[in-house]
Amino acid sequence: MGNLSPLTRRMMSTYIGVILVIMYIPIVTVGLASISKSRFFIFPIRKTSTKWYEQTWSSLQIQDSFITSLSVAGCVALISVILAFFGALAYARYDWRGRSIFQQILLIPIFFPQAVLGLALQLWFNSLGINMSWEATVFAQMVWIVPIVTLIIAIQAFGYDAAIEEAAFDLGASRWMIFRTITLPLLGPGVFAGFLFAILLSWGNFPLAYFTSGADVTTPEWLYGKMIGGYTPMVPAVGLITVLLGGIILAVGLKINGMLQREQ
Amino acid sequence: MNEIARSELDNSSAAGGDNASERRPAWKMSGGLVSALPIITLLILGFVGPMVLVLVYSFMPRGSFSIRNAPSIQNYVDIIEQDFYLSFSWSLFLALVTVVILLAICYPLALAIKRVSGRRANLLTLIIVAPLFVAENIRLQGWVLFLDKKGVLDGAFDSLFGLGTGSLVNNVPSIIFGIVYIYLPFMLFPILLGLANVPQDAREAANDLGASRWRVFRDIEMPLAMPGIMIGGMLCFVLSLGAFSEAKFLGKGVIVTISQDIESAFTFGQNWPRGSALSVILIVIAGTAVFLAMRRINLERMLAKR
Amino acid sequence: MARAGNRPRHRTLNTGSNRKMASAPPILQLKNVKKSFGSLNAVDGVTLDIVEGELFTIVGPSGSGKTTLIRMLVGMDKPTSGDILLRGKRINDVPANQRPTCMVFQSLALFPHMTVGENVEYSAKCKGIPKKQRKEIATRYLNLAHMPQSYYDKSVKQCSGGERQRVALARALAFEPEILFFDEPLSAIDYRLRKTLEKELKDIQRETGKTFVYITHSLEEAMVMSDRIGVMRDGKLAQIGSPSTIYTQPEDRFVTEFMGEVNSFSVSLGDDGRLASKELAVSFAPPDKMPDGFTSGVLIMRPEDMSFAKSADSALDNRIEGELFNEYLLGSRIQYQVRSGDMTFLIEELRADAVDRALGDHVTLTWRTVDSMVFAE
Repeated sequence: MGNLSPLTRRMMSTYIGVILVIMYIPIVTVGLASISKSRFFIFPIRKTSTKWYEQTWSSLQIQDSFITSLSVAGCVALISVILAFFGALAYARYDWRGRSIFQQILLIPIFFPQAVLGLALQLWFNSLGINMSWEATVFAQMVWIVPIVTLIIAIQAFGYDAAIEEAAFDLGASRWMIFRTITLPLLGPGVFAGFLFAILLSWGNFPLAYFTSGADVTTPEWLYGKMIGGYTPMVPAVGLITVLLGGIILAVGLKINGMLQREQ
Repeated sequence: MNEIARSELDNSSAAGGDNASERRPAWKMSGGLVSALPIITLLILGFVGPMVLVLVYSFMPRGSFSIRNAPSIQNYVDIIEQDFYLSFSWSLFLALVTVVILLAICYPLALAIKRVSGRRANLLTLIIVAPLFVAENIRLQGWVLFLDKKGVLDGAFDSLFGLGTGSLVNNVPSIIFGIVYIYLPFMLFPILLGLANVPQDAREAANDLGASRWRVFRDIEMPLAMPGIMIGGMLCFVLSLGAFSEAKFLGKGVIVTISQDIESAFTFGQNWPRGSALSVILIVIAGTAVFLAMRRINLERMLAKR
Repeated sequence: MARAGNRPRHRTLNTGSNRKMASAPPILQLKNVKKSFGSLNAVDGVTLDIVEGELFTIVGPSGSGKTTLIRMLVGMDKPTSGDILLRGKRINDVPANQRPTCMVFQSLALFPHMTVGENVEYSAKCKGIPKKQRKEIATRYLNLAHMPQSYYDKSVKQCSGGERQRVALARALAFEPEILFFDEPLSAIDYRLRKTLEKELKDIQRETGKTFVYITHSLEEAMVMSDRIGVMRDGKLAQIGSPSTIYTQPEDRFVTEFMGEVNSFSVSLGDDGRLASKELAVSFAPPDKMPDGFTSGVLIMRPEDMSFAKSADSALDNRIEGELFNEYLLGSRIQYQVRSGDMTFLIEELRADAVDRALGDHVTLTWRTVDSMVFAE
């Protein structure tokens, strides 16, 4: 049971490899489609060209959608981590009466069909007289994303030794100081991971944005529109740019996370 | 944390009775409620409110846009009379099949990741899961371009072997494939968490006591990893129940899922009450399944074991 | 390796098992067993015979290879080279679940999702024994391990540290193995409980007559429990023998120092036949048994073998003048630290024999030559 035979090891690695490849096939395909010169994608690619990227670059529509997506993601991430930070404390650190109910209720928006949530929110905003806009999308995405980020930070909070806070208290620190110099920094990595997750989840989200953004269009929405009618290879081009941007954010995030971890 | 330290912790907490309440300093007792308030507010405004509204709308007369009418169950009657059961059935079928397939794929995958990569398991998981952050649409589009006529697969086979594969989309299997693909990370993650709950020395001890590999799996691994497996299953079930992009792009409309029906009712059909009623039924189905499964799991214990 | 002139100061009870052991065939034989991980030789050639019915302890510091060795004996790892024979049959390739051996893990490795009874019954379940008999077997061994019947259906998570130890022991015993292995099972519990369990384990071993192979880093534990001890260092066995042999006739400096706190002097053989100290301006009488061709090395004295002399007494073979500078009460003994020149020494005497001394007093240390141990270096 201790060590694997080389054959088993190889089979397992192969299996992982196969899955890995499958996960990335569509992304690679999209990349190929974005550099194919012809309007409709044929494989093998006859001629390559970057004209679609040029068109994408100059399209105001697309630029708008990128700005919208980034704004939404930025707001969602910032506000979410704040709410989630306290939520995680309530989830994992403090002992209080409604805790177990809270823990269960928090999961519901995650385990929920997004399309239904999006539609319900549209209904809701409508009846409250709120216009569909990118701000509405921020709110909508938060309903789903805040619980996820809370869980991420909560995982970190579980490993947190409350005795450290007691020791600080014993050494004369005020509650505010303890919070600022101990609680926050120790939960830092979790918060950062949550922030990253929030950006990426918001960035790639479609259902919620679709139903609540109204005239504002996020990048996934723009893509959807073109995929339904009016397909152009700008779609895969934009798609690939999204992927690359996401990848960069992830890489930078991991790097910073690694640095934070080492300091711990 | 190595096994010894963990067991020492277990020992001490077991020896002194339940230490949980000792972990938190007494002067912060009410801090929990205060900390939870912002989220609770968000959830009430952003979730409970909309859901109640949907429920109310579901009892409004057909085609109305306000809630100031007298309640009626007309929508539900309509739904039963018309053949919405078809889309419900398709959605349920797809969801169930997806869960079964994903369990079969992800359990061995999770085991393999843990055994083969050891310390770098986290990085490997991240790489596998990373496509999650790319919009669903893009990834599904990628598959269409790969599997469709003149796509990558067809074109490659054609040039290499002179015989293309034709279009592999426009059918139910491709829809299932799409849903499985999209929701794989949601099954993988919880199973990995669940497996983390299985102490390696318990496996070794069972082996030492005479258990075969199969026995170890059945008696030790599965029961301890079960919470993770159940959470993964529930999550994928509910999420795939609500899936609609796959049927649209990969299936090109060959079947209609319930989410698409709901969407049409709200948009083209201009029938908010019907859309609401459909949503309510969907939520009830999903909610029942989740409720039944989740009663047996303590999520906190699973997360805290890390 | 008995040394003429060195009488063992502690006589062990000559129990029947000791006499039997001399003639019994070995149940487990290790022949030059090695285990390497890359360039690291965790176990570097261990040859050992374990006699049936004995309690054999392997002691050594962390990293000496004890756990690696035991894992190979139980079947969790395979030796890189060498043979392991059980009753004459080579078992290197027999997997753990087919060996008639069982181990109590350092972390105990109880199945957290099962009750006490289910844990103990597990081996019987794997053998396909029906429920009723399983329960009988489990009950019998839980009794042997002094666990009350009322705990049978309790979840193991509710058990205290000591109770979990007993469950782990009962579970391993219920397998009815030919050899029972223990990987430092008592290292994580408090002193009093450990003392109790040590004695209980020894009693159980005598009662069942099974062969126990025990690993610990605590020499005290090894001395209390074992019939024989093997001292391990850097993957090899430095010495094998009964507790008293190891203690009174250690074969090298490492074993000596490992077995207890010692005072050591760097010495060289002088022209007058005495051992000249390199650190102090004195010389010591050499014991009768000296290493062959000794020119320089180390002389080791145990604190309890040193005593205070009356300074007036000039006819001392060994003498050190020093100043008393610390005193530690160790229950029934008192330990003193004495300083002389740049060196400090530890000396112990029984509380009953103690004389009132003040810190800073001038004292004279001495010992019987026959109690000193000399090793070449």
